[in-house]
Parts: sequence; structure tokens; C-alpha cells
Amino acid sequence: MSEANKDRTLSAPGIHGEYVPMRDLAREEVDFCIVGAGAGGGVLGAKLAEAGFSVVIFDAGPHWSPVKDFVSDEMASRKLFWTDERITGGDDPVELGSNNSGQGVGGSTVHYSMIAMRAHPEDFRRLSLEGEVAGADMRDWPLTFDELEPYYEEVEEALQIAGPTHYPWGKQRRRYPQREHELNASANMLVRGCTRLGIPVAPAPIATLSAPHKDRPPCVYRGFCNYGCTTNAKSSILVTYIPRAIAAGAEVRPNAMVAQIEHNDRGRVTGILYFRKRSRELFRQRAKTVVVAGYAVETPRLLLNSASSLFPDGLANSSGMVGRCFMVHSGHQVFAKFPRRINQYKAPPPGGALTEHFNRTMPEAGFICGYTIEVVGPHPVDFASRIATARGLWGADLRRAMLNYNYYSGVGIVGEILPQKKNIVKLHESERDQYGLPVPHIVFGYHENDRRIIEHSVAKMKEILEAAGGEDLWSADRTAHLLGTCRMGSDSSDSVVNADCRAHGVPNLFICDGSVFPTSTAVNPSLTIQAVAARTADRIVDLVSRTELRV
Amino acid sequence: MEQEFRTRYPGYNVLDKWSSPDWDDQTREVVRKRLEEVPEIRFFTDAEARTLAAVAEQIVPQPDRDKSAKIPIVPWIDEKLYEDSRDGYRYEELPPQREAWRLGLAGIDEAARALFDGKPFVELDPLSQNVVLRHVERGSPPGASWEKLPAARFFKSVLSITIVKIYYAHPLAWNEIGYNGSSSPRGHVRKWEGGVDPWEAQDGG
Repeated sequence: MSEANKDRTLSAPGIHGEYVPMRDLAREEVDFCIVGAGAGGGVLGAKLAEAGFSVVIFDAGPHWSPVKDFVSDEMASRKLFWTDERITGGDDPVELGSNNSGQGVGGSTVHYSMIAMRAHPEDFRRLSLEGEVAGADMRDWPLTFDELEPYYEEVEEALQIAGPTHYPWGKQRRRYPQREHELNASANMLVRGCTRLGIPVAPAPIATLSAPHKDRPPCVYRGFCNYGCTTNAKSSILVTYIPRAIAAGAEVRPNAMVAQIEHNDRGRVTGILYFRKRSRELFRQRAKTVVVAGYAVETPRLLLNSASSLFPDGLANSSGMVGRCFMVHSGHQVFAKFPRRINQYKAPPPGGALTEHFNRTMPEAGFICGYTIEVVGPHPVDFASRIATARGLWGADLRRAMLNYNYYSGVGIVGEILPQKKNIVKLHESERDQYGLPVPHIVFGYHENDRRIIEHSVAKMKEILEAAGGEDLWSADRTAHLLGTCRMGSDSSDSVVNADCRAHGVPNLFICDGSVFPTSTAVNPSLTIQAVAARTADRIVDLVSRTELRV
Repeated sequence: MEQEFRTRYPGYNVLDKWSSPDWDDQTREVVRKRLEEVPEIRFFTDAEARTLAAVAEQIVPQPDRDKSAKIPIVPWIDEKLYEDSRDGYRYEELPPQREAWRLGLAGIDEAARALFDGKPFVELDPLSQNVVLRHVERGSPPGASWEKLPAARFFKSVLSITIVKIYYAHPLAWNEIGYNGSSSPRGHVRKWEGGVDPWEAQDGG
């Protein structure tokens, strides 16, 4: 860990291994206290600091220096994940702690796959378009695509997304800021299979530089994207918005686990209580406004852990919706063996391809919403655990199967999951974490529509890889991303925040991360989280200027 | 037996690249520790450690390596439990990890004794050990410990997966599957189908 993280100092790790000066706001009442330095909190923090507000951004994990702290090793990179205890259950318990949970400044964007897709105009009005679906609890977003479109552009520009000249799905868009990456072997398999079957396919738009940008070099295709980028080609929040936030005067406070949001007797929040990770001492940070951006498990957990006599069911939970409609994406994968070397370890997304051909309601297949198919490229520890689990392999069979590691190629889906009230993040009745805080208890089960999407997609992926020349096919169950649990909506009895991510009933509390999604969409969520955060920042500036929010 | 695991990449040794532009200092440090600083057993009892070593040899057998040359498995599980470092999730039907491992190892021994005339797991021949673990995998092994620990879930989501991950995090495993290993700062150039950079594992050695 970087030296600067041991105690609060006036410097932060820079992206090239140096230290950069940072303001110290510890003793002040700040305008904004943001809990979580990931996709939502990072973008919002930078824009608010640039607008002149005093901002402290907290994260439970360290402030990494990419060139010093990230390693080219799967096992040693577990430090990037949220590995505190969480209890998982329900009919289809979700695995956590790796691909879907980050800890540290930059959040999950430090290890995300960088696939930078926009949601579609239809995604914001699923209830209107599809009607009520039994067992599901869909809502339209209180935002339209048109309102979000300029913010997609803004974020794509800031992250310098590298994408194809023509992207065939969704609303037509102007060119991506950077040219697409050269396709890798696994992408070639997807392209070949799709082309032979007449399925349109395109290079994936990726938040990784394909050409130099400012002080960051283009990607050299190390293949360790999911374990932290050591060269800064990857446009994570850590190397994009966080340096902007610090340069604009924000303080980033790492290794600080926020335990509770405090409020006064009028129901307005007054700041937070947090633990310093090493000492486990409790500190207070006073703030005029609190933003929770801890992702769809930690965000509801913090609100529920902030229950008081005034808010007995948890903060901002008058609707009872905090923690409800927890969603993931189905992330099922299919692998096939090919006659020539694939070398999956250099297959991760820069150079990947995808198809949104099945990201649509398909009455003939019996499902609404749909899925995207993308290229995947697990390293050996990840691949071995997947093949072992999926095929029930162990013993000599496993070692023999693994000898073909370099000859396997894989694809996986981002499948839409319908929101269901019974899927929930709550506080565990008895288990406590290392700080004495109740741990999250997550209950999840697929909807019938989710299962039909999974079934269709697995069959389709097999068809594609077979058409590409693959054999020895097998599929692995998997999920990705954490969404829902504090959905946005215009009806305060039915949602937690409004379209500005402002909590119903607690006017100086905002929530800004994947938990505000009313529906999950069938695309990777990071770009939408960032676009919503960018919009929220502009809305806050507007609200303050009209004295509708006091700071 | 060695034939069984014949690599496509004879002579490939990922550590030959130790001083090349593929290995940065921080990666060298974590892999050096993995190779040189194998921790002492601090959590398991001697009996538990012996049982687990036999289980690990079933899950990822290494008959092609002398005892001293095997990829160490038990010390890393022991360290994880000694430090109680968690995985980020736990199935609601499982007890906390320390309890789960203790129960699981006791249960494997109970199943062995019930199935094979009172013999402990470590004294069984490999084929009988395999039979015991198949019972655990299927979820219906004999033994009182399994009343407190769901066997199939423990086998699939805790026991086997932890062992498999440790095995494939070791350079010897990387050699046999032709994994490139570290790649920082140098990345890759030949990304296409059949494309192999000169510093990657070459088929046929």
C-alpha cells in the first residue's frame, strides 16, 4: 500500500507513482461529503469540486497508485475486491467479492471490463412499452434517454472511449472520441461465428485509450484489465475523475469505512461517522449535504445502518424500497476449444467485440428486454475455477482439461434482470463485521423471464462458437454488476430518490450509483452510472443557484 | 502417470522471464513470496493438515512431482483461515469459514471411517479416498458433522474451489498450461488467432 495512506496527509498518490498535493478538509463542515469513490462518486465529486464546492470523497479501501500498487497476478489482486463478509442466499444466490465489488479509490472501475455502452431510449420506459409483467416490479425511469444523451457524450469524451466508426445499435451517435482497438483472437471467434449465422456484430466500445491522451499512453494489451491497469491506459475513475477532483480542491479520504449518516431532529442530514481502517477509531465529518455512492449493496446497507427514532426503518426509507428490487445481470458464459492458439489471457476487452442483436424483446423466444453477447478472457485461476465448477471437474480430469487453456475461447452475456421486490439487500440479524456493523444479507432469485433469457442466450452462444469452429463446448453460470435497491422514481411512495438522485423526504441526501436504476438494462452499467452522476452534478449546481438546495 | 499431464509446452518456464520487461518489481515481489515464503501451519491441527493434504492431492493430484516439488496447497488455506481473510460472500447455509473448514475436514474423516471399516481418510488408498470425496460432492456422506454443514455446497463452493485456485496461482501450473504470466510493462503484440509473441510459451517447446 502507498505510504500516503497510512494516515491522512496533505498528499495523495498520483497516477504515475508520484504524490500530489491535496487539501485537508477534516475539521471543516464541508458542502458535500460523498461516500464511495467509484463510478458515481468519482464523477460527481470531480464536477462538484470544479463547480467550487468543498468536497470530501470517502472510500473504504486504499488510494492506489496504479504503477506501484497493481500487480500482474490474479491471486495478489484480490486486494482490489470487496472481500468483507456478506451473506448470500435465495433461490439463486449471487456470488460477490470479485468481478462485481470493488474496494479502493476508483471503486469497481479499477477492475471493470471497460465496456462503455449506452442504454437505449426504450430502456427508460420499460413499463410503458411492455406493460405489467406478473411477478416483476418494473418502473419507467423518471429520466428519458434524451435528457441523459448529452451526459453520455460528456462522459465518453472525458473517458476517451475507443469505439467503432459505426455502432449499429441504439440511437445513432456521433463518432467515438478514439478509434476502435484491433480485434483479438477471441473477438475473431465471435465475429466469425456471428457472421456465418448472419448476426450483426461490432467491435466493443471500450474505456481504454487506443491513442495517447494527455499524460496517458495507449493500451499495450497486457490483458490484466480486471486486475488493475499498470500503464494508465485504462480510463478508470482512479486515473480520470479522481485527479480532476483533487486538482479542483476536493479531498479524497481513503481507508475510511463510513458507518452511519447523522441527522438533526428536523430530519436533515448533518454529516457522517466513519472508521479509520487501521485504528478502527470512529471519526465525524460534518457536511451540509451527503451523497451515498457505495453501489447497490453498501448503499442500502449504510442507509439501513443509519436508522434512528426519526427514521426507524432506515434513512430515506419511508417507501420501504431501500434494499428492494436488487438486481444483477445474468452473466452466463460459454467456452469452446479451437484448433489454433487463442491465448485468452490477452483477450480481455480492448480488442473485444459484441452483439446487441438479441438486446430486444423477442416474443418468439418468450422474453422481454434481452441480452448482449461479449467476449471474455479469464486468466488461469479464474478459468480453472469456472471449468471446475461448471463441469464438475476435479482430480486428473481437471489438470488434463486445463492443459488446453490457451486453446479455449469464451463469450458471455449481459442479460437483463427484471426487478422483483422480493430480491433484497437487508441487514443480517446476527452477523457483524470487523467494525461491529451488521453485515448485508442478500436474497436473490431469477424471474421466469430472466431464465428464458439465460436459456436462449446459452443456446445462441453455443451456436455462435460452433459456427466459428469451436468444439468441446460448455457453459458456466455467472452474474455481473449490482443494481437497484434505491431506485429513482417520481412517486415517493414507490422509490427512494427522484430523477436528480435526491432522496425523497431527506432533501440534503443524494444517492448516486448503480442502486438508483429502476430497471437493469441489458448493457454494462458503468457508462450510465457515470452519465447519471454527471447530470446529477449539473442538477445540484442548478438547485443551489435557485436556492432549492442550501450549501 | 507423468504422461497423463503432458504439457504442450515442454521446456517452458515462466520464471525464465523474471528479468524481462514482462515482470515489474511489485509482481516479482508477490510471486517471490509465493515461492519462498510458504507459511507455517498455524490454524489447523496436525491431523487436520494431513487430512487436507490428502484431500488436496485428490482435487489436484500431483503424482508427477516429488513431495518436496509439489505446489503447496495446505499452507495457503491455513494462512487464509489463520488471518480469517474472507471471500466477500458466504452462502447463508454455511457457517463462518473457520467453522466450515473444521467441520468439513472432520466430516471427511467421519465419512471415511463409516465407509471403510473405521479407517481415517489419510490411511485410505487413493481410490477409496476418491470414493469418500464423491460422497461429499454428491451431498450425502455419512458423518455427524454433515448435519451442520451442507456437504455438496461445501465441496463445490469452498473446498474444491479454494484448492483449485491456489494450484493455478503457482508458476509450475502456469508452465504446464502455457500461461504467459506477468506482463507489465510489456504487453502483447500478436493478438490474433494463432498469434504467439516470441516471449510467450511456444507449442512443442
